[in-house]
Amino acid sequence: MPHDHHDEDAHSLLPSEPALRVKALETILVQKGLIDPAAVDAIIDRYEHHIGPQIGAGLIARAWSDPAFKAQLVNNTDGILSDLGFGGRQGEHIVVVENTPDCHNLVVCTLCSCYPWPVLGVPPAWYKSDAYRSRAVREPRQVLAEFGVIIPPEQKIRVWDSTAEIRYLVLPMQPAQSRGLDESELASWVNRNAMIGTGLPQPPAKT
Amino acid sequence: MTGCKMKPHHDMGGDSAGPIMPDKPDDPIFAKPWHKRVLGLTVAGGAMGAWSIDTSRFWRENLPKADYQSFSYYEKWLAALTNLFVARGFVTREEIINGLPSGPKQPLHAAALGADRVLAMLAAGAKASRPEIAKPLFQEGQKVRTRLPDATKRQMPGHTRLPHYAADKIGVILFYHGHHVLPNSNAHFLGECPEPLYSVEFSSADLWPDGHAGDVVIVDCWQSYLEPMT
Repeated sequence: MPHDHHDEDAHSLLPSEPALRVKALETILVQKGLIDPAAVDAIIDRYEHHIGPQIGAGLIARAWSDPAFKAQLVNNTDGILSDLGFGGRQGEHIVVVENTPDCHNLVVCTLCSCYPWPVLGVPPAWYKSDAYRSRAVREPRQVLAEFGVIIPPEQKIRVWDSTAEIRYLVLPMQPAQSRGLDESELASWVNRNAMIGTGLPQPPAKT
Repeated sequence: MTGCKMKPHHDMGGDSAGPIMPDKPDDPIFAKPWHKRVLGLTVAGGAMGAWSIDTSRFWRENLPKADYQSFSYYEKWLAALTNLFVARGFVTREEIINGLPSGPKQPLHAAALGADRVLAMLAAGAKASRPEIAKPLFQEGQKVRTRLPDATKRQMPGHTRLPHYAADKIGVILFYHGHHVLPNSNAHFLGECPEPLYSVEFSSADLWPDGHAGDVVIVDCWQSYLEPMT
C-alpha cells in the first residue's frame, strides 16, 4: 500500500516544535550549500515589504479612471502586467474577471491555495483555511455573508476554482460615491478582499 | 492498483466546515517569524530546478492524512520540502535525524539560488504555457463531461487537479487557454506532456443539491480530464 511508509517520512524525524524544525532544516541546507540564507532573506523582504495588494489596488484604480487601460488590463492582462513590471512568480497567467450589476466573482483554490501573488502578495490565512477551501464553491452566498457581503439573489455568482496555473483577479465595480476621485485616492478604496471577491470597495478609513 | 478511490484529504471542495475567520486589516503578513522562513526556503529550494511546482503540490497533498489535517499551512510546506530534499538525494535521513550535515561546510551548489538572482527569479516566474502542438479538441461553448479524478492520474497514488466535486459532471467550455504543462504527469517526473487547458463552467445546481439557481463554478481542466458529449 502506498501510504505504509509514511511513519518513516523524513519530516517526522525533525524536532516537534515548528520553529526548531525550520531552523534544523535550514542549518543543514545552508551547510550543504543548497540554500543561500541571503537569498531566503531577499525573498522574504520582497513579500513582506514590496509585493502586496497595493499593487492590485493601483491597477484597479487605474482601470476605473482610464477605460483604455481597463480594456488592456482585461484583454491583454499578462502583456500589460509584464510591461508594468508586475508579472512573475504565481502570476504568470492572470485572468481579470469583472464584477457587474448582474454578476459577482469569487476566487478560491479548493485543492491547495493558489493565489495571484505578484498583484496581491501572499494569501491571508483564511484563504488557505480548510473552511474557505471547502465552502466557497458550495455555499458562496453564505461565505460572503460571513465577510459582510450580501449578494442579491438575482445577481449571479461565479466562483473560480484555481485548479491550474491561471490566476484570477477580481475587478470590482467602482462605487458611485468615488466617482471623480483621482487615481491615488481611488486606490485607497480598493481593499485586498475586493480583488478576491470576498469584499467590496470601501471608502478609506478616516485618519 | 486498487484502493485510492476515496476522495483524498486535500480535495475538500464542498465539504462541510465551520465558520471562516476573516483577518483584520493590521494583521501581520506572517503570523509567526518561522512562517516567512519556510516560505523563503520553499521558494529558494524550488528555484534550484530539481522539482516543479506540481511535484511540490503532490508532496504536500501526499503527506499522511493525520499530518495534513493537524499541520498548519507552513508546516505542510516545511514537511513536504524536507521530504523532497531527502527523496531527491540532496539530504540524507541521517542528516535530518542528527540535525547536522555529514560533512564539512560546502560552497554554494551550482543550482542553488544566490541572493543576487532573487529579484530576477521572482519577476520571471515560470510560465506553464507551451507552444500549441495540436488543435484543441473542444470549442468554447461546447458541452463536455468530466472524468473521474483517478482516471486522469498517471500513477497511484498520483496527482490530479480535477477535484471530486466536479468529477463526472457536465459543464460548458468557457475559455481555451492554449497548451499548459500537465501536472498529472509533470508532478511525477514523467514529462511535461502539454495539453489544451480550458476553463469549464458548471451550474451550481448541477454540482450541489442546494446550489443556488443561476450561480456557477468554473474549474480549469486539462483536455484529458474531459470527454465529449455525444
